[in-house]
Amino acid sequence: MNTPGETLLGDWTQACRVASLKPTLGQSTATMYGRLPGNNNNNSNNNNPAGGGGNTGVGSGGNGGAGTGGGQGHDRLKIGFCTDLDKSVLVNNFEKRGWHQVNGDDDWHFYWAGVQTCRNIFSVDSGYRMHDNQMINHFPNHYELSRKDLLVKNIKRYRKDLERDGNPLAEKAESNNSSGNRYLYLDFVPTTFVLPADYNMFVEEYRKFPLSTWIMKPCGKSQGAGIFLINKLSKLKKWSREAKGPFHPQIAKESYVISRYIDNPLLIGGKKFDLRLYVLVASFRPLKAYLFKQGFCRFCTVKYDTSVTELDNMYVHLTNVSVQKHGGEYNTLHGGKWSVQNLALFLEGTRGKEVTDRLFGAISWLIVHSLRAVAPVMASDRHCFECYGYDIIIDNALKPWLVEVNASPSLTSTTVNDRILKYKLIDNILSVVLPPDGVPDVRWNKVPSADALGNFDLLIDEELAAQDEAQNSSTSTTHAKASKMGSRWK
Amino acid sequence: MEELQDASIHHMTARVISAIKTTKCYEPIYKELQRLACSPNVDPIDMRNTLEEAIKGAGLETEIRNIVYNLVRSRLCKPEATKQLSKTTLSDPLGYLKRAGVLWDRRVRKSLNAMCSELKVPLHGQPRISADREDFMAKWNELSNYSMDLANYRPVYAPKDLLEVLLSLKGPAKTTESTDQIPQWEFSHIALPVKNLFELRAHFADLLRSDGYLGVPDLTTQCQRILEGRHAPMCQHFLKKGCTPAPYRGALWAAVLDSKLHDYDIEHWQKLRNTVWTTDHIVDKLVFKDIQLTASNDDQYFVFEDVLYQVLLCFSRDTDIGSCVDYEAFPVKGRTYEGPPSGVVPFHGICMFAAPFCYLYDSPVNLYYTFRAFYIRYCHRLTTINTHPQGIVSLCLLFEKLLQTYEPQLWSHFRELQIQPLRVVFKWLMRAFSGHLPPDQLLILWDLILGFDSLEILPLFAIIILSFRKESLMQVASLDNIEAILADLSSIKVLPLVQLALSRD
Repeated sequence: MNTPGETLLGDWTQACRVASLKPTLGQSTATMYGRLPGNNNNNSNNNNPAGGGGNTGVGSGGNGGAGTGGGQGHDRLKIGFCTDLDKSVLVNNFEKRGWHQVNGDDDWHFYWAGVQTCRNIFSVDSGYRMHDNQMINHFPNHYELSRKDLLVKNIKRYRKDLERDGNPLAEKAESNNSSGNRYLYLDFVPTTFVLPADYNMFVEEYRKFPLSTWIMKPCGKSQGAGIFLINKLSKLKKWSREAKGPFHPQIAKESYVISRYIDNPLLIGGKKFDLRLYVLVASFRPLKAYLFKQGFCRFCTVKYDTSVTELDNMYVHLTNVSVQKHGGEYNTLHGGKWSVQNLALFLEGTRGKEVTDRLFGAISWLIVHSLRAVAPVMASDRHCFECYGYDIIIDNALKPWLVEVNASPSLTSTTVNDRILKYKLIDNILSVVLPPDGVPDVRWNKVPSADALGNFDLLIDEELAAQDEAQNSSTSTTHAKASKMGSRWK
Repeated sequence: MEELQDASIHHMTARVISAIKTTKCYEPIYKELQRLACSPNVDPIDMRNTLEEAIKGAGLETEIRNIVYNLVRSRLCKPEATKQLSKTTLSDPLGYLKRAGVLWDRRVRKSLNAMCSELKVPLHGQPRISADREDFMAKWNELSNYSMDLANYRPVYAPKDLLEVLLSLKGPAKTTESTDQIPQWEFSHIALPVKNLFELRAHFADLLRSDGYLGVPDLTTQCQRILEGRHAPMCQHFLKKGCTPAPYRGALWAAVLDSKLHDYDIEHWQKLRNTVWTTDHIVDKLVFKDIQLTASNDDQYFVFEDVLYQVLLCFSRDTDIGSCVDYEAFPVKGRTYEGPPSGVVPFHGICMFAAPFCYLYDSPVNLYYTFRAFYIRYCHRLTTINTHPQGIVSLCLLFEKLLQTYEPQLWSHFRELQIQPLRVVFKWLMRAFSGHLPPDQLLILWDLILGFDSLEILPLFAIIILSFRKESLMQVASLDNIEAILADLSSIKVLPLVQLALSRD
């Protein structure tokens, strides 16, 4: 256990403890604020000098979770955890809560599983039946969201369903840069086709916009593997011929998606980036989802250049850390990662508050509707929760585009700050999905307290929203209603 | 008495008028005035009143007021400097400090010269060979891709070098005291006047006021109206609140620092850029090296690497800087050394003074002028030894006195450990916390610097942090552990902490 990482983490938790000490300037916290002048009181979130919502998170969520993890009132139940991933950010978090490690065959309460294990547990053949005090970190058919082809299929169906029902969300408008009409509010995925199935549809679209660039991605792979760009139909044909040849039998079996390449990305400091945001889904029906405030921008290390000679330089186009790591200029101190808070500060400072708020609102919107699109087909088992890594690209008109969703976002830490962030992420996930006493229990109503949210913001809770609506219509009072969709970012 | 005041006003007016004529904005304003004087609204019979009306109507009055305001703030407040030079003698109690300032500057330049001769490059630069020039111009917007060998270059000096010099400053020993009563490791004996907490409270009193402006409760609206009014003093006053809305910060700072872009500024920038393109200077290497060592590795600023190359390269060529910055003058024998065109020898971390501006301005030109003005007004005092009440020596002294008076426990703790408290905070002071506080908080701190026109917030804030983490500091007994406790400032919130410290009974 004495890897360098462990000591780092030790230092960090110490630093946290240190930072969260009470200020010694005033007598007590209460009198301290009592004497503060009023001009600061309107933004209550910033009033805490220790910065509960600060970057390294001295946060109440984390420490609160730690306290409950010990299991007050549940002394008899020693919680067994099991993990397929031997990551210190996971194990440290579990052990901090006083859990002990067990095997998958033993009686576990909390399983941080790989997707395959999860599928096995839920398969009919396994005959495994989970009891009420067990939780697992995936939904059995998460691939409805995380496979690129299925995600697009689900979103297309979701839009059609809304349109058929005459829902105003599905309103369309004339557009000049995609085929025919485009959805006004639900146009957040670049035009995409599945190959080889939709080949003819793709060719039709391609002919309409012969100058655009397309990006090919294998449906089942992640971390940038097997991705390439196409700006000539002949290149696709050539690829297709080769794929059918005897040398690449594996490609022939695989399906690909081909999407319109976002060729006008927002550049910062002249560099291209994408956003990695963490979204926690505690339940799909009703939908309960949370957005982690500390997402980050992943920067390309090489300057962005659309010239054709650069088309084959994947470092320019792909921002995946696993791709960038092999580039010559990867920096191990920051790993090309820049916080979303800094992005917001920069955009507010240089473009204004209104457009910045609109962008972040649009991002929340995009996430909620991508989740709604898959909610009907997801097996929403009460034992499950899942943390998704959302990859989003922002174009230079400050419109966000959903690129893909990862059901097993990397928990490997590339930098010290990355480690702190991921440790915090896991800690906050645990405190949101576990009942207040820290013992997994599917009978819990899954309504975490504000403290338990830590750095998560509520994106949507359909159950709470429905209750509010019912209450509002019966009492017809305008009492403070729990926001159905929060989009507080800072 | 009134006569005296009258006379001084006339004296001042004369100085303002002569100073105005030397500014770049004089010519365009003069032309505009001529144009107004010929306009039909101006009546030759009632010249005075009608011209005044016309000036007000054209918005020229605010502009002239702002120019006067800035002249009085910067150039006209140091009248005695030149006069005193003649009578600087051994009797000047601060003579040794001024001497140290001159020597420090000389030492820095000498080491730059030594680097030049060691590497066999001329200090005054050489024309770029055409291939290099082409390459440089082509990569101007992505200088991180411009490759050069920097293995033999190292920063000329770092904060700790300046700290060592400061700590070794020796005043004239007072004969009445025995020498062992003066601690070896503090410099409270330096006879510079610094404020105490009471005076600081008075100075920062506006920070504790919650009055609204213009009867508008909403900060954004207030800010918009102030910017529309264009009065520099109003803009400065607004920054005192410490809650500047991010979208208006860039405009407010430019108004306070008088760095709004004029046509001649853009021309000047292009000229500087061309000089960088055509000549190869040793400071270029030092600038590249510094950015690579600091901003490029900083997770808050690395994305702006390429902007910073442009800004700091042009900065190194800007001879206007040398004429605006006032260095200590004291007759010291010995050789003098040539410096870079700007007069500023890049040191380890200089780019961190420019980096925070990347969050305010998207274009390098805008960024450049506000950064330059900020550097001239504030930053250079942090890297030179000088007797200015806001120079690094005074700030260090202020820090020590505040710590001793208001955190005696910490003071004795440090003393027992034989650790100079200044060692722990010096890098914060010298970089004005840039790279130490996260950008959103740093910009608030710098709002206060600009708003109260004072660097005294830096030592005050350093004390506040030590005080805030006192409990932990009291528990450790080594420099490493102390530094570990103070390493991470990401959870520190500037405004509530400063307000708290100032409002404490």
